[in-house]
Amino acid sequence: MSHAWWESRLIENRRQFFRRSSTGIGVAALAHLLNQDRETVAQKPGAVAGNGGLPGVPHFAPTAKRVIYLLQSGAPSHVDLFDYKPSLDKLHMQELPATVRGGQRLTGMTAGQKKFPVVKSPFKFCQHGESGLWLSELLPHLGGVADDICVIKSMHTEAINHDPAVTFFQSGHQQPGRPSLGAWLSYGLGSETENLPAFVVMLTRNTFGEAQPLYDRLWGSGFLASKYQGVKFRSQGDPVLYLNDPAGGSLASRRSWLDQLARLNALRLKEVGDPEITTRIAQYEMAYRMQTSVPELADFSDEPESTFKLYGEEAKQPGSHAANCLMARRLAERGVRFIQVFHRGWDHHSNAAKNLPVLARETDQGSAALIADLKQRDMLKDTLVIWGGEFGRTVYAQGNPNAFGRDHHPRCFSLWMAGGGVKAGLTHGKTDDYCYNITENPVHVHDFHATILHCLGIDHERLTYRFQGRDYRLTDVHGNVVDDILTQPRG
Amino acid sequence: MVCWPRNVLITCCCLLCVSAAGAEEKVDFSRDIRPILSNACFRCHGPDAAAREAELRLDIPAGAFAKRKGKAAIVAGHPQRSELMRRISHADPDQRMPPKESNRNLTAKEIDLVRRWIEQGAPWQQHWAFQPLVQPALPKLAEDAWPKNPVDQFVLRRLRSEGLTPAPQAPAETLVRRVAFDLTGLPPTIEEIDRFVEDKSPRAYEKMVDRYLQSTAYGEQMARHWLDLARYADTNGYQYDTERTQWVWRDWVIAAYNRNLPFDQFTIEQLAGDLLPKGTAQQRLATGFNRNHGITIEGGIIDEEYRVEYVMDRLVTVGSVWMGLTVGCARCHEHKYDPISQKEFYGLFAFFNQVPERGLGFAPQESIASPLAEQQRREIDQEIARLRAELERPVDNAAEVEQWARKIASGVYGWGVLNPDFMKSSGGSKFTKQEDHSLLVGGANPGKDVYDIHARTDQLGVTAVRLQALTDPSLPGGGPGRHSNSNFVLSEFELTVVSVKNPETSQVVKFSQARAEYSQRNYEIKKAIDGTTSNNNGWAVDGPVRKKPVAAIFVASVPFGYEGGSVLRFRMRHEASFGTHGVGRVRLSVNSAPTEALGYVGPPVDIVRIASLAVTDRSEPEQKTLAAYYQQQYGRHRVLLVRIAALERGKATVFPATMVMKDLAKPRDTFILKRGQYNAPGEKVAATVPAIFPQLPADVPRNRLGLARWLMDPSHPLTARVTVNRYWQRLFGVGLVKTSEDFGVQGEMPSHPELFDWLAAEFIRQGWDIKKVHRLILTSATYRQSSHAGTAGYAADPENRLLARGPRMRLAAEEIRDNALAVSGLLVKRLGGKSVYPYQPKGLWMELNNRPGYSREYPQGQGEDLYRRSLYTFWKRTVPSPMLKTLDAPEREFCTLQRSRTNTPLQSLLLLNGPQFIEAAQQMAGRVMREGGEAVESRVVFGFRLATGRRPTQEEAALIGSVYRSEFVRFRADEPAAKKLLQVGQTSQLSQLDMVEQAAWTSVTRMLLNLDEAISKG
Repeated sequence: MSHAWWESRLIENRRQFFRRSSTGIGVAALAHLLNQDRETVAQKPGAVAGNGGLPGVPHFAPTAKRVIYLLQSGAPSHVDLFDYKPSLDKLHMQELPATVRGGQRLTGMTAGQKKFPVVKSPFKFCQHGESGLWLSELLPHLGGVADDICVIKSMHTEAINHDPAVTFFQSGHQQPGRPSLGAWLSYGLGSETENLPAFVVMLTRNTFGEAQPLYDRLWGSGFLASKYQGVKFRSQGDPVLYLNDPAGGSLASRRSWLDQLARLNALRLKEVGDPEITTRIAQYEMAYRMQTSVPELADFSDEPESTFKLYGEEAKQPGSHAANCLMARRLAERGVRFIQVFHRGWDHHSNAAKNLPVLARETDQGSAALIADLKQRDMLKDTLVIWGGEFGRTVYAQGNPNAFGRDHHPRCFSLWMAGGGVKAGLTHGKTDDYCYNITENPVHVHDFHATILHCLGIDHERLTYRFQGRDYRLTDVHGNVVDDILTQPRG
Repeated sequence: MVCWPRNVLITCCCLLCVSAAGAEEKVDFSRDIRPILSNACFRCHGPDAAAREAELRLDIPAGAFAKRKGKAAIVAGHPQRSELMRRISHADPDQRMPPKESNRNLTAKEIDLVRRWIEQGAPWQQHWAFQPLVQPALPKLAEDAWPKNPVDQFVLRRLRSEGLTPAPQAPAETLVRRVAFDLTGLPPTIEEIDRFVEDKSPRAYEKMVDRYLQSTAYGEQMARHWLDLARYADTNGYQYDTERTQWVWRDWVIAAYNRNLPFDQFTIEQLAGDLLPKGTAQQRLATGFNRNHGITIEGGIIDEEYRVEYVMDRLVTVGSVWMGLTVGCARCHEHKYDPISQKEFYGLFAFFNQVPERGLGFAPQESIASPLAEQQRREIDQEIARLRAELERPVDNAAEVEQWARKIASGVYGWGVLNPDFMKSSGGSKFTKQEDHSLLVGGANPGKDVYDIHARTDQLGVTAVRLQALTDPSLPGGGPGRHSNSNFVLSEFELTVVSVKNPETSQVVKFSQARAEYSQRNYEIKKAIDGTTSNNNGWAVDGPVRKKPVAAIFVASVPFGYEGGSVLRFRMRHEASFGTHGVGRVRLSVNSAPTEALGYVGPPVDIVRIASLAVTDRSEPEQKTLAAYYQQQYGRHRVLLVRIAALERGKATVFPATMVMKDLAKPRDTFILKRGQYNAPGEKVAATVPAIFPQLPADVPRNRLGLARWLMDPSHPLTARVTVNRYWQRLFGVGLVKTSEDFGVQGEMPSHPELFDWLAAEFIRQGWDIKKVHRLILTSATYRQSSHAGTAGYAADPENRLLARGPRMRLAAEEIRDNALAVSGLLVKRLGGKSVYPYQPKGLWMELNNRPGYSREYPQGQGEDLYRRSLYTFWKRTVPSPMLKTLDAPEREFCTLQRSRTNTPLQSLLLLNGPQFIEAAQQMAGRVMREGGEAVESRVVFGFRLATGRRPTQEEAALIGSVYRSEFVRFRADEPAAKKLLQVGQTSQLSQLDMVEQAAWTSVTRMLLNLDEAISKG
């Protein structure tokens, strides 16, 4: 097949595309056309944007098409929010028995503390829904969707400090260097949308000065190709970096300019034959598409007032947790595979009684609204929503018991999941009277990852990437799917 | 073994991705069988004893051929009697190996290969990469004009065996661009292109290569690659990611490449420069290589846990960079594939376990001058010496005192209190002027308040401003602030000076430093002049506990004051979220004294009185008091000492402490760590090297120096191979061994085994001469081939493993940015120095980390700092520069041996809309108009040559010309759009060219810089 012939086909298809693009046929079509025309060209991994994914993945029918993960960075207190223990009333201000602590290593922050007095939660708990889920008074809105969520009270992890713990949750390993959960999913499943990235990250503007820092690698691609990393949607400046022309050129003038650029690239392609040039042409088209689709996505003016009733007025403030929850729903509607929202400020080493209500208020309404909203749109059934931090907090007081804080606690903590094949209205796992040790159904971080992958139709032992001679997995050599919480457990 | 058919086989292997020898061919153990055994069997029947099943070991012949209970896994020549054969081809899935759940099932082809290998006698060889390196003889080829050096002979033999012929040589302008990028990371200038194209001498090409090898940009380009391997960064990584100053080490690398330090010395100095007998400071600086790992400062960490991580990182990095081995796999258990036991891992660990360091902390450190800034260091030392000599010089003290007294008397050295004539509060506060010219603030007490205070002065050469925050009974709480706790937070203190004579002449005063009598912790005075007010950043004074007036001095970077008088427009911002934290009573003064001499308060009234008297009118005690005060406050000695101290301090900033390696006087014991955990020590081990390799030479010490010498011993099978492979990878996109990060048994075989060993051996033979080995590859006919292979060529061999064409690939992140800067003329070529902060979208640092004291706004640079080469861009691990990261630069948390090379829409957006690239296009447009002749056509050619190195075809030129014309029409109709385009970036106002024309050309140059060809080497 001659270059000239091939080139003419390409140009022809581009013309068709441009004719049609004004009537709404997207760049997907172009990428597809370019691709089809390249049957003779070896399919290089990663040569074409969008869909991709690995052959044979998903391994089986998924129950979730996408994930919205509301990560509560800094570690919320399970003692004060989810893990209701009337027993603590009696134990209040008593020393934590050494038998309960069982030699648990302590962080440098309380290792020097002489006494470990148990402090009960200063907040009331009450039951919600038909399932009778106990929740702290700090989470009234979540109570409203109690029958839609599944609370796991028996999470445990290995790390006792923020950096390794959040890195572990994000990548299955405490040290930096591995791909994040979202990157694994983009790599395995590819993208459902041609106009947006498969993996989007949003940061909540934190109102507390002392929030835990975050790092790009938490949504990084590790040893996977860098195109799998999460794309940050920002609430200041361009929503996506460099989305807008600072010179203010109009999209219309850019359209014809891009056509000329594509023509020049196509001439070169004819001369050289390198398929990377074809991809480059397609990527410029995709970039153009993003310039039109992202502003529309970020503009909430098409939302009815009822949306803001549901999510709260705060959802009108870009960067608030509520706004990010609403944005997450809009991204989910547009086919983004993995959406992660980081909400920070839970690291209450002192004054927990004062600080917790602030954080809980920030997260409660938006998170609950997201569940209700997805449900009313019939999207909850195939959207897995997750809410949780990187570890729990100690039942004993850090510092002065009158203005007590709680230190890091890896041995047990709570998080919740909803939709996407997870049983609704369920509580899984139990802890002891001290909220200190798990007594039933422990769920390790690796198990948690295996379960998420399972919901997406992926066998966590079979999603691998060969790097440095070894087949790496998100779950390393561990992980068991928690069948008990699934609507469709493994057969 | 026969030579040539083997090459055919490899083709099958690499092109068809099937490791199958043809039915009649001889099976090669290394190429065909070991990969199967390694991948499918070694996990349970390999080096790791703990994981070994059925006590069967298949990674060594002693295990594979051993008879156990009358059966052997492999019986040479007899597949049917080999237990291995029986099990891998078993009909019963429960009996079949490998087990189903391992996900490593063998294909029928693989099983057949194993069968035939056993049939052929099951010959066993050691893993190729562990075999001693022997330089193969050059292939004997029929006469051919194509080969230019031995590299080509190997390549041509392989091509012939494939029935292929080499591609023609690339055009001269392509070659010069390819070489320029490969050796310097920069495009050739038009003069350089012309010089090469016009040079018809027989050795024109070699001369051109040599020119680039001699350029200082060569060292920068080579260093850039090394920085990925060395996980170099300007921050400490982990959670807080605070800043470090390892750039001095980075300068060492650049200088080392430029003086062509041989690779063995390059290695020894970086791994063990501190241990060299009579080692120099520069050799100690080199050891920063092994301190480039991340260091955490997270409160609450367990010290030993992280100290152990750092040692691990060193070992894993050295294992990857010099040996291409995944030694880290043996941290927790025996290596699953390679012959490295856990004990041997900790034997290596012991070499790096001797540093006097902690998990929390940066010692050992040393201040060593950058080799690129020797001149600067000499100048500072000379100045210090001059001042010291000055100190020794005897002087007439009385005359000096008198001279000073006259200045005091005339008020020059005192603080001239300003008398404000305009005061305004953004929040409605009221100012009441007091007798001492201070302003008492009262009335409304808004949450945030900005005071605008104007005052006139006739003083010239004003060096500093004093702000006094005074107390007053009307203020709450007894201190100087307006809040009920009597504190204030001065978020920012700003000053604009306006000439009285020419009110349109004004300047914003930049304060170079600030000091205060008192600052609250985390609210230091410098935060009032750091340009940011977010996150309650500002100056506060512990108002709740310290109920005293307080003064601060702001030193202007350049003295100011207009002839004929100046109006000083002060702005005091109080924008902390605490609310009502305004200063309660303000007094402002100015001073023209040398800044070293400034006190918070001027000379006491009494001193001023004495100074005002004529000498004859002073009493003797008065004269003594005056002289004593002078000595104490302004004496020449004091001024000189202050200046010397300032220079010494400056030297510390120019040459900050850099982390280096050092060994403990008394060695630290090393233990096997069970499961790799810091708190689970097992058996004690000594510093040793793995048994698979030649042992440490008897005459070397058992420390890092010994280890470095061992690595560089010509008998080491890996060092030269791994290094040469990386050079090849950089030039051709893929290494001769594709898995440059794994030379173990799970890695790939070389595509050209004999070429590969020849090159590696040649590298050693030539004295590890880095420039020579590059010259060798670059002058080969192989490298000079055209990359225009047509779709069929690219389809047949997408990665160019056969080398039937020249290399073509997208440029690296740094090269793309440097290219734009270079062709626009913006590039600042200064070598080395502190890292710089080019353009970056606002807020990227603070949105991830806003902890006071641990983070700050990205301090975007000014002027030259925006246009330095990208390898000097400040590398923040947790938030790498988006310009570089978008184009696949790694985070540098760990050693990176191979960057991914992706092609994404986010890259298109960056190149389309990144201000750095738009500004470069603007300036490039300026060049096109100034240097490209008058006609549109000649300008098109000039611009196209800048972007791609070649002249456009007629079709291309016509297309670009039409773009110019239509953009010209568009901008003529919309001049504001033209203006806006030309205002992007900091250099915009420099151009005197016609605005519409330049905007239209900018549209063209933007397009040129976005061409695939402009961001590719081809």
